[in-house]
Amino acid sequence: MAMTDTGEDARRLAIRKTLHRSVGTGSGAAALPAAFLALWQQTARQLEPVIGARGVDVLFGRALHLTAQRFLWLPSTTHDNRTASLEVLQTCLAGRSAAEVSDVGETLLLTFTGLLAGMVGESLTGRLLGADWTAGESQEQEQPRRQA
Amino acid sequence: MNQTVTIRRLATGVPGLDAILGGGLPEFSFNLISGPPGSGKTTLAHQIMFGLATPERPALFLTVLGEPPLKMLRYQQQFSFFDTARIGDAVRFVSLSDEMATGDFEQVLARITQEVRATSPALVFVDSFRAVLLDAARSGARSGDLHHFVQQLGVQLSAWQATTFLLGEYHSPTEDHPVFTVADGLLALRQSVHRNSMVRQIQVLKMRGQATSPGVHTFRITGAGIEVFPSAIVRDDSGNAADRSPSPARDGHRLAMGVPLLDAMLGGGLPSGFSLLVAGPSGSGKTLLATAFLAEGVRCGEPGVMVAFEQTPSQSLSPAIDDMVRAGTIGLINTRSMDLSMDEIVHHLIGMIRRMQARRVVIDSLSGFELAVAPTFREDFRESLFRMVAALSSLGVTVLVTSELEDRYTDLRFSPYGSAFLTDAIVVQRYIEINSGLARVMAVVKVRDSAHSSEIRQFTITAGRIVIGSPVRGYEGLLGGSPQHAPDRPHGTARGKEDLP
Repeated sequence: MAMTDTGEDARRLAIRKTLHRSVGTGSGAAALPAAFLALWQQTARQLEPVIGARGVDVLFGRALHLTAQRFLWLPSTTHDNRTASLEVLQTCLAGRSAAEVSDVGETLLLTFTGLLAGMVGESLTGRLLGADWTAGESQEQEQPRRQA
Repeated sequence: MNQTVTIRRLATGVPGLDAILGGGLPEFSFNLISGPPGSGKTTLAHQIMFGLATPERPALFLTVLGEPPLKMLRYQQQFSFFDTARIGDAVRFVSLSDEMATGDFEQVLARITQEVRATSPALVFVDSFRAVLLDAARSGARSGDLHHFVQQLGVQLSAWQATTFLLGEYHSPTEDHPVFTVADGLLALRQSVHRNSMVRQIQVLKMRGQATSPGVHTFRITGAGIEVFPSAIVRDDSGNAADRSPSPARDGHRLAMGVPLLDAMLGGGLPSGFSLLVAGPSGSGKTLLATAFLAEGVRCGEPGVMVAFEQTPSQSLSPAIDDMVRAGTIGLINTRSMDLSMDEIVHHLIGMIRRMQARRVVIDSLSGFELAVAPTFREDFRESLFRMVAALSSLGVTVLVTSELEDRYTDLRFSPYGSAFLTDAIVVQRYIEINSGLARVMAVVKVRDSAHSSEIRQFTITAGRIVIGSPVRGYEGLLGGSPQHAPDRPHGTARGKEDLP
């Protein structure tokens, strides 16, 4: 596997690794929404002290809007209230396949962190998101050396 | 036993700031950085923070209302001092916007307290503090609550052994607010726009426990952040014998000018450490004289620095100057900028003098200099010149300044700035009409405390060099523009010096 060369690759890898850790293999679609919600809440907790809850809300609203353009079965309108939006999202995901849930969850988190990176850069995004997000990148970067 | 406390001063890392603060920032001081929007408060705070913060001396940056944290982080990281790698360990950003949204003043203070207790930061920044107060006022908080809040915050932050900064959009430091009384340090930033130039200024209004540099200082914001240009201070004569000792450069040694016969006209060369004003109309040969002065210095092993103010690319420097600059024997400061402060130019000049270990300095010309200085400073140009000459004099360099002189024959002027008194020596160049032709003449008007020739000598420019000829005899009223034949009388010599052959 090639070494990650973009911030988005690193963030995608971090999302997958974290979900893999929390859900485990073969857990099926049922556990995925909760796992995504947990990862999302962890991300929000990490960012809120720095950019404020309002800052997180604004980015989340935009990320949900952009994600809904790709997955037309998602609610196209979002609530100002982040909790309400999440509840609607969870309800939507409840009847979907594991692949769909995984795709939506990953896209939403990637879009959200992408918006953040667009504002403050990949480097600072990595610092703000904390060790879990950068761990994926460093592990990935070590892999080719081990293979070599 | 000495029981007085020693206040440690922190080096801020902002070039020039420590100098105007009086040696750095007192540790555990409670400082207010005030100024209107866009004056550089957040940039200054961030630069100080990244300059001082380490994992052992962590910083906490609390953002309130005003600039959203995301925007602040986006724009501040454009500065080279912004070190992403230090965020987390050495620098923590915390948003108080949620607490502010509640309108509960005590909650804001409690959150600040909680954050400070949790991480024991050595540096705390609250941006923007003005927003805290305004929001509290809007929410109906009594003024007593505000005073209490400010004082509580000040006292608590000091007690937590933190050096603290409150950033506020105060337009006038005379505003009646307790924060001005409570603060140990007051830094006022402002920017003024005049015509098409913008000038940034900083003033240390208060810094308890140390002597600050008085007055207003200019600063510039570049990709590297803020750089302050402390005003050149002209020290009072204390009357102490030690202070009255002559500058080491003024040792009686005289410098050759690189123009044959001019040294003799000056009474044996230009005294070392002196400042010389060369005044003359356009094209009379002032820059050539200045170039010869620098070239002679190079020949004698004395590096030089030239400050040029060409306003158009067509006004290129002479090949002789180009050659010396390329060879590294002289330094060149050439600016076409039109928003400089005298302090900024002097700062760059002094820096180059020290780097080059220069002994000779040329400023060509005062006219260009005045154009390069932002309009805001032109009113004080003469005073600024005085400070510049004093600053250069204290370095012991010998300075040659050229000045455009309007050829008015109704009066005898040596400088359009009334700045002739600032320099120790004056050489004037003029055009005269003889036999329906223009000729150049040169005279030494003044050499302080020294005999010199008082002759008016004709000179020509031959192959890019000044060649001084014989005195103009047989005419009177040369400088008045109406020369008339006169009987050939022996010319006088200033202070009894003999005429030259």
